Amino acid sequence: MSNIASSQTAKGGSVSILSVLKDFGNFRAVNDVSIEIRPNEFFTLLGPSGCGKTTLLRMLAGFEAPTDGKILLDGSDISMLPPNRRPINTVFQNYALFPHMTVAENIGFGLKMLGKSAAEISATVKEMLRLVRLEDAGNRSVTQLSGGQQQRIALARALAPKPKLLLLDEPLSALDLKLRKSMQIELKRLQQETEITFIFVTHDQEEALTMSDRIAVMNGGKVLQIGSAHDIYEHPADRFVAGFIGETNFLEGELTASAGGAGTVNLRCGVTVEALTAKSVASSGSVTIVVRPEQLEMVDPGSPQSVDATVEQIVYFGTDRHVHARLGDGTALTIRQQNRPGMREGLAEGQKIGVAIPPRVAQILKD
Amino acid sequence: MASFASTGKIDIKRQTGFGFIAVACLVALYLPILVVLVFSFNNAMSIGASWQGFSLRWYVTLMKNQGFFDSAILSIVVAVAATVMSTILGTMAALATTRVKRWRGQGATMLIITSPLIVPEIVSAVSLLAFFSFIAQAFGISFGILKIVLAHTSFCIPFAYLPIKARLEGMDVTLENAAADLYADRWKTFRYVTLPLLLPGISSGAALAFIVSFDDFTITQLIAGPGETTLPLFIWSRIRNIVTPELNAMCTVLLLVSIAFIILSFVLTKKKQD
Repeated sequence: MSNIASSQTAKGGSVSILSVLKDFGNFRAVNDVSIEIRPNEFFTLLGPSGCGKTTLLRMLAGFEAPTDGKILLDGSDISMLPPNRRPINTVFQNYALFPHMTVAENIGFGLKMLGKSAAEISATVKEMLRLVRLEDAGNRSVTQLSGGQQQRIALARALAPKPKLLLLDEPLSALDLKLRKSMQIELKRLQQETEITFIFVTHDQEEALTMSDRIAVMNGGKVLQIGSAHDIYEHPADRFVAGFIGETNFLEGELTASAGGAGTVNLRCGVTVEALTAKSVASSGSVTIVVRPEQLEMVDPGSPQSVDATVEQIVYFGTDRHVHARLGDGTALTIRQQNRPGMREGLAEGQKIGVAIPPRVAQILKD
Repeated sequence: MASFASTGKIDIKRQTGFGFIAVACLVALYLPILVVLVFSFNNAMSIGASWQGFSLRWYVTLMKNQGFFDSAILSIVVAVAATVMSTILGTMAALATTRVKRWRGQGATMLIITSPLIVPEIVSAVSLLAFFSFIAQAFGISFGILKIVLAHTSFCIPFAYLPIKARLEGMDVTLENAAADLYADRWKTFRYVTLPLLLPGISSGAALAFIVSFDDFTITQLIAGPGETTLPLFIWSRIRNIVTPELNAMCTVLLLVSIAFIILSFVLTKKKQD
């Protein structure tokens, strides 16, 4: 088993998380989670703090043992291996760079522990510095580096032993917005160049959407939905996922007929809309539909197939604006408009508008 | 009051009487020491004499005093041995009370390790005396100067333990996690990450242990056998004879050694996360 860690040939590994449970005393942090992660995938665990995503990551790294269930890496059970025997490296949230070592010593640490020769270590360190675009930083002390540079050294250190799996624990949370944006692109590039499987933990839905091949949305220790960014945004599995990813409008109504992945819903606010259904939705009864703000259209009040609303607030974002409106029955709605020449001028708070829901964009939720 | 309003904190320097109390404390603490130091240069025959001019004669006398050198060397040997043993044990104890899962009796263990700080020294001295006499009677083993080393080790442990424990508690555990993540086993993690980062704490603990051992009188006085005269015991023995300013010179040398080690310990503790 001990030479799993020193395997150099493999690129990204596949991971099978099989019915994993983790209890801390009476608290169940991870509740029966099963995920299949493909080789070379950029996979994100997304959820609010306390949802169990970090505990799951710590079990993958080997810092926690599952209470029940198994974790397989390329088919072999690693659940009980200590961290130093797993070909998996971690980028820690606070980077955890060794303050008493230079940048080069930090990057070479893993290879040194694996017993590689000095020549090989120095060649790999050089390669890694080039990969993270800090060629000249080798002899510097890690304490002299800026946050963004430390971040890149932490990445280089974790990538240097060429692990089968790279775990990233909210690595961008300490960076300012601009740096975070450029690191998102950088991370995606590194993942594609190294072909290592990345498992990325974040509570930031935008980060998850822009970088991931697939996302698992977690809450309360459970996985609620696994899918591509598109799937999760366009077809949220339940109310939590819909509300957590992006801004959302929820509307209540009665499902009267459904066929071929779509159903007719009589909304309580008075309009009837054709909405998309997931497989597991019942064929009739009261339902909630979810419509994204950018899917709603603003029309003249009283237009057919629209519902009247009153503008309460207009928030201008530059590239777009959010119109917060309220329907006659008290339901709040947000409508997003792209900023383009045709954008309605002179819209005022208190003004009456009509809101139309185009057919086959809204999604019917479970429950 | 203005300073209180602007910063939300009381400026102690502006409190009535602060200056007076501070000066009084400094005088009470350091005047006797200053007197010892100044009068070590007194060109007089007895310790109680008035100032009779500056002279290095008592330092010259001290340099020729074989008894002083012999006892100083014994003190250094004992202090070095006790420091090494108590620092190793203190480091192990600090690791066992910070880097493990909480275990039953952990709190009690910390209390026992630090108990020499609380137990009156004379009680420790009598119990160590009783302990070594018991061993000598029961097994016929006489330890010689080893028993001084063992006794000193026992009361030096908390002085070594506390700074090391404080350093471990302030150290980011994710650094050790990162080492394990990068294929270091437990020993390599300790060797390459924990130990180098712990070194300032260890040095600081060792410096304190050294000075506590080097200075000790009460316990050593009770358990030392004939001929096992450490420096404090030697100075004590001289007080009972004719007391000359040579005694001041000895105390000054002892004082300088103590100050050097305390400064060393302080500097090493200060040298934190860099």
